[in-house]
Amino acid sequence: MNALQHFLAMGGYAAYVWPAYALFFVVLIADTVAPRLRRHQVLRELRARLARQSVRQERKPPSTPASP
Amino acid sequence: MSNWIPLWLHRLSSPPTFYRFAGTLQPWAMTLALLLGAVALYGGLVLAPADYQQGDAYRIIFIHVPSAWMGMFIYAVMGVAGFIALVWRIKLAEVVAMQSAPIGAAFTFITLVTGSLWGKPMWGTWWTWDARLTSELVLLFLFLGVIGLYHAFEDRRQGARAAAFLAIVGVINVPIVHFSVNWWNTLHQGSTVNVFGKSTMSWDMLWPLLTMTLATKCYYAASLFRRVRTDLLDLEGGKDWVRQIAESEADR
Amino acid sequence: MAEHPGVATACAAMLRRDLTLAWRRRGDIAMPVLYALIVTMLFPFALGPEDTLLQRIAGGVILVTVLLAMLLALDAMFSSDIEDGSLEQLVLAPQPLALLLGMKILAHWITTALPLIVIAPLMAAMLHLPGAVIPVLLLALLLATPLLSLLGAVLVALTAGTRRSGMLLALMLLPLCVPAVIFAAGAVAAAQQGLPWLAPIAWLAASLALAVVLAPLACAAALRIALDA
Repeated sequence: MNALQHFLAMGGYAAYVWPAYALFFVVLIADTVAPRLRRHQVLRELRARLARQSVRQERKPPSTPASP
Repeated sequence: MSNWIPLWLHRLSSPPTFYRFAGTLQPWAMTLALLLGAVALYGGLVLAPADYQQGDAYRIIFIHVPSAWMGMFIYAVMGVAGFIALVWRIKLAEVVAMQSAPIGAAFTFITLVTGSLWGKPMWGTWWTWDARLTSELVLLFLFLGVIGLYHAFEDRRQGARAAAFLAIVGVINVPIVHFSVNWWNTLHQGSTVNVFGKSTMSWDMLWPLLTMTLATKCYYAASLFRRVRTDLLDLEGGKDWVRQIAESEADR
Repeated sequence: MAEHPGVATACAAMLRRDLTLAWRRRGDIAMPVLYALIVTMLFPFALGPEDTLLQRIAGGVILVTVLLAMLLALDAMFSSDIEDGSLEQLVLAPQPLALLLGMKILAHWITTALPLIVIAPLMAAMLHLPGAVIPVLLLALLLATPLLSLLGAVLVALTAGTRRSGMLLALMLLPLCVPAVIFAAGAVAAAQQGLPWLAPIAWLAASLALAVVLAPLACAAALRIALDA
């Protein structure tokens, strides 16, 4: 326990060392998460577009005007 | 027969091939980054002895210096990819250049803030107009300028080419900026700071630093692969291979 | 087909056209000058009217003010030509685009930077800069402002195809002008302290020589990228 406390104290520089490491990880985690979210969004939009296209194609073959 | 390298590169630069290639490599790069990072953190935070001058505060070096190297390295990658994109008009090079920029900006930002956190206990100030610090700040602005220019265009590929051009202008300018700031620093003999008072680092401190550098390199590869894959999906939205991916991932 | 006019004729025509256009809108020329004077006037109000303090900051304040005034005018370098389509004509012209753009940059420098240099002694007097330093200040401005015009032209050309470009231009240009500001202000500061000021002036001149050769070429390439839709 004492060793852990000693480690966390960082020789009195804990207030500088730990925020630096925290920032390092926060920024990199944000950098990892952002493209994942964007990927989900891109794929969702793509699927929505594909769904719209297939609906339109199904409606086309009976060349009668759409019923009101 | 030594023309298999250009052939292989040519094939790799086609978006679907690169998408699969990056998808295979990306988990390995990330795993390697995490492993090396964990080893480096253990070595740096626990095993390495405290510095006789700076106490434990010097341990910030293990993330500060690799981040600084990565900032410059990524700028160089962006410049080279931008050059390839402009000369040979390869779509993949445009994407690599533009997706590198946010990662580079992130590392440069980390460098500036950790440097500031290190400077406060060591030099007694958060910021000093030292040549290295100022150049790093200019580097961050250059990254942000590239990102801003890229997003200012309606047409993404045109934006990528314009921003790639800006990146190349920056490559020429950064050494001039560094030189001029150095000159300015000698003129204003203010707070000249020498971070590495002793020129040789002990091996106990050096190996975690080098391991962390490798870890950030692997991280960059992983992050770049992830970003490029996403961007390719967006850019090639109408193509068949993207449609297949969208359909096969519909269930998840 | 009529024979193409020579390069020299085309360049002269380009320069004359741009200067005529600028002269017809004389009010626009006065704007950066007024802006620079007003900004300079604000400094004594913000910092207090002590002579020693104002003298110390005068060189830097004038340089940064001139830089910002030029930045404001930079946006308009190609905008009217893009609106009326004459820039596309320029790109298609048989004469080398880089030379014609060089002429445009020269015209822009004459209409925005030259008036600023003319009023620089007035700004210097407002901030109590010693009279002996003013020639060095003018020399530094004469070398630094074309550098900014050339560098700015490349970036303006890059943003030619975009809608909103004002703040973006500042974000891109200001980091790249750090060397010009450092050397120009360094020369003024050295002259003020009675130190030799030739070295920074020489560095400025060297960068200007480099920029005169490279910037028009880069500007042409950037314009081709930005207009290629």
